[in-house]
Amino acid sequence: MALTVDNISKNFGGVYAVREVSLECQRGEILGLIGPNGAGKTTLMNLITGVSPSDSGTVMLDGKRLNRLSPRKRAYAGVARTFQNIRLFEHLTVRQNVEVAFTSSEFHRARQASRITIDRLLDQMDLLEMADRPAPNLPYGYQRRLEIARALALAPDYLLLDEPAAGMNRLESTALIDSVRFIRDEHGCGIIVIDHDLRFIMNVCERIAVLHMGELIALGTPEEMRNDPRVIEVYIGAQDNNGEAATPAPRPSPSDGETTVERPT
Amino acid sequence: MDSGRPRRRLWHVEGARTLRSVRGATIIAAFAVGIGLLIMLFGEPYQVRLAVAAYINLILVLGLQIFMGNANVANLAHPGFMGLGAYLTSIFAVPLVIKKTLIPNAPFGLGEVQLGVVSSFVAAVSITGIIAALTGLVLVRLSGIAATILTLAILVIIHGVFVHWVDLFRGTQAFYGIPKVAGIETMMIATALVILVARLFKDSRIGVQLRASATNMLAAEAMGVNIRALRLIAWVLGGVVCGIAGALYAYYLGTVNARAFYFHAAFLTLAMHILGGMRSVTGAVVGVALISVAMELIRHLESGPVILGAQLPDLFGLGSLMLGVIIVLVMCLRSDGLMGGLELDEVLDRHWKRWRRGG
Ligand SMILES: Nc1ncnc2c1ncn2[C@@H]1O[C@H](COP(=O)(O)OP(=O)(O)OP(=O)(O)O)[C@@H](O)[C@H]1O
Ligand SMILES: [Mg+2]
Repeated sequence: MALTVDNISKNFGGVYAVREVSLECQRGEILGLIGPNGAGKTTLMNLITGVSPSDSGTVMLDGKRLNRLSPRKRAYAGVARTFQNIRLFEHLTVRQNVEVAFTSSEFHRARQASRITIDRLLDQMDLLEMADRPAPNLPYGYQRRLEIARALALAPDYLLLDEPAAGMNRLESTALIDSVRFIRDEHGCGIIVIDHDLRFIMNVCERIAVLHMGELIALGTPEEMRNDPRVIEVYIGAQDNNGEAATPAPRPSPSDGETTVERPT
Repeated sequence: MDSGRPRRRLWHVEGARTLRSVRGATIIAAFAVGIGLLIMLFGEPYQVRLAVAAYINLILVLGLQIFMGNANVANLAHPGFMGLGAYLTSIFAVPLVIKKTLIPNAPFGLGEVQLGVVSSFVAAVSITGIIAALTGLVLVRLSGIAATILTLAILVIIHGVFVHWVDLFRGTQAFYGIPKVAGIETMMIATALVILVARLFKDSRIGVQLRASATNMLAAEAMGVNIRALRLIAWVLGGVVCGIAGALYAYYLGTVNARAFYFHAAFLTLAMHILGGMRSVTGAVVGVALISVAMELIRHLESGPVILGAQLPDLFGLGSLMLGVIIVLVMCLRSDGLMGGLELDEVLDRHWKRWRRGG
């Protein structure tokens, strides 16, 4: 039982955003995906969820080929995600945001009937008190948590989190570590999590994959990644480019600057 | 249930929630019908006629709101569906003697058919719904500007059929002899019912999912929302409501002409919809009420009224100009319309809470 990406590639106008990447996430595993800005992390997530079609390679979910399925069908099949640039349903309340995912897939995801309820999901993500507020009124960190609650309403077998800790302060990201672990234990799904906050990643993940310029350059336990010379090189390079040189970072949120500079030592 | 699979319950809304929607719809309907009652009691006959016209426009705008307000796709085809409702009702309901002179070469043996008032209404609205479904199958494959242009094409095509299929629709000549069975009371009842339908739809699972897809299509797809299917449902329901507006129009006036179901009607109702606020059912009522009153005032100006003994010159075209100005102003200043996404009951609840806290 695993979400498997095999030899997948995607290029934009001749430049590879993802190149021949093979990766596997077991059910119940928390897999980290790191790499400097523009490494292709989000693109890989888009390929898995079908937001953009791959040039070559396959995506398999528990032995089922997903390649030709639309994002909607992949959601029914058991892949749910959050978005790096938060994409909540603006005019709806917090509860309605979750309800959309919950009701759309009800027919396809039979297990939902058994355990999950919208209130339970909201409670698990600490959103219950603000359930009737319009989603855009939530503080930033809670908007990210709502994205997760919404994805969980699909009763996914695999959950893909694109920078869930971005913009969170240290306290919030620590709470998020517990939440991610709790989700894995409670829902039993495999989780792939992208983030630049290495403290968060190192704490929450069992294995970490490192992307650099579209290619998978290393894969192993947090301990191994900390000592991998190529990973250190990439991160120091990223620091030279983004941290100190004049090249502007793509997203100028303060926490991003902070975490990109943080060195995996 | 036994199979362990949940039954598909798209229309399902929990009890308390349905109740809240019904309560909201009742408040909005009371507001809309209340204005009509006042006019009935204290107004002059021509004001009652204006109120009837406003109610028909309101039903049309509600038909527009069901699709456009929830799916956020600009729609111009709605007067076409109103026209279908009106013409089809006429064709079924006109007495045979009159029909012989109106459309002697009627196809499908329609020249020999005369249905009762209710049967004609049901048949006309059903056929309108089927035509909406057929056009909808194409429409939901498109999005954004392409979709809007298609709605424009649908309007032009339907109008073209009215004007050129002389054997069935009499071309540019008016269709008359329809039993005048609908008065202001019918309009008020129909309006209240359609307000209820629009509000229940908005608050239903389909409505919520559709509104989600309207604000963020990519996220909605990733969350499993079947945007095409939901848009199709809204499109057909909206088309049916527009058809109802047309049928009532025919039963009120007793005569039908293709000109009434073209661009002027499209822009008038679009301006009403936009002014009130597309996302709100209450907005439809507010927009129709305000623009109906304004258009009437302008009609006085257009005919060169006498003010303080001075005869003002005729100002034709002022009405269309005002509609244009309203659309531009709302788009620039308050693109969400007067109501934003709010409903009357929500506004009242908010004030009530504030008042209680304050007092
Ligand atoms: N739709 C697109 N069209 C063209 N180029 C794209 C597109 N999406 C991504 N790219 C390019 O692909 C590369 C990888 O981008 P991607 O967003 O996957 O990086 P990332 O690892 O998620 O970076 P970040 O940490 O900044 O989020 C970048 O060079 C980006 O400019
Ligand atoms: Mg990214």
